[in-house]
Amino acid sequence: MAKRPPIGNRVRELRDQHGAMTQAQLGEAIGVTRQTVIAIEQGRYSPSLESAFRIARLFDVGLEDVFSWNADLDDA
Amino acid sequence: MSFQEKSAWIMSLALALGGAFYFVTVSAMSAEINQLAPPTIGAVVVYTLILIALAIIGHVAIAVFAPKEANASLDERERMIFARAGNFAGYVFGFGVILSLGMYLVSYSGNALFYGVFASLMIGQLSEYAARVFLYRVAV
Repeated sequence: MAKRPPIGNRVRELRDQHGAMTQAQLGEAIGVTRQTVIAIEQGRYSPSLESAFRIARLFDVGLEDVFSWNADLDDA
Repeated sequence: MSFQEKSAWIMSLALALGGAFYFVTVSAMSAEINQLAPPTIGAVVVYTLILIALAIIGHVAIAVFAPKEANASLDERERMIFARAGNFAGYVFGFGVILSLGMYLVSYSGNALFYGVFASLMIGQLSEYAARVFLYRVAV
């Protein structure tokens, strides 16, 4: 079974803060599908560095304001 | 469910139905002559036509409801899912081919070798689509 990546994020919270942006709108803005945005928000997928920067720039915040290391899920 | 996941379900169904048709046909032909029937071009052509027809009908049906998604290129997660599923399918196909070759060394049946490799191809493809569906639903 695939393990969850040890990276948390505030994407959903930031979407809500930016005029209740939809997952589809966010996906279109950063060049991924709505399903990928859902997977990112649920912590099932860690986006590429490029997409992570695109999300941070879109919300006008730093990368670490969006993504954080979740030590509880780190079994490396 | 994304367009690509629906597509994987359609192809799985098409491969399963096409494969069932092919091996039921071969079984019936073999039963008639009381031995493993030699492969025929006709059965392979009909199998291919079933696969193409189901794939086209299924994809047109899902594209009608999501034309934008149907025309979109794969995103980064989908590319990763496709690569992993393809890699897995390669192992399944390779294992089937090696098993078929091993059986040939025991039976020296060219017909069985053909069916073994053909079945490996079908199962390999089916496992690729099954792996895509699985990977779409779990952490990647």
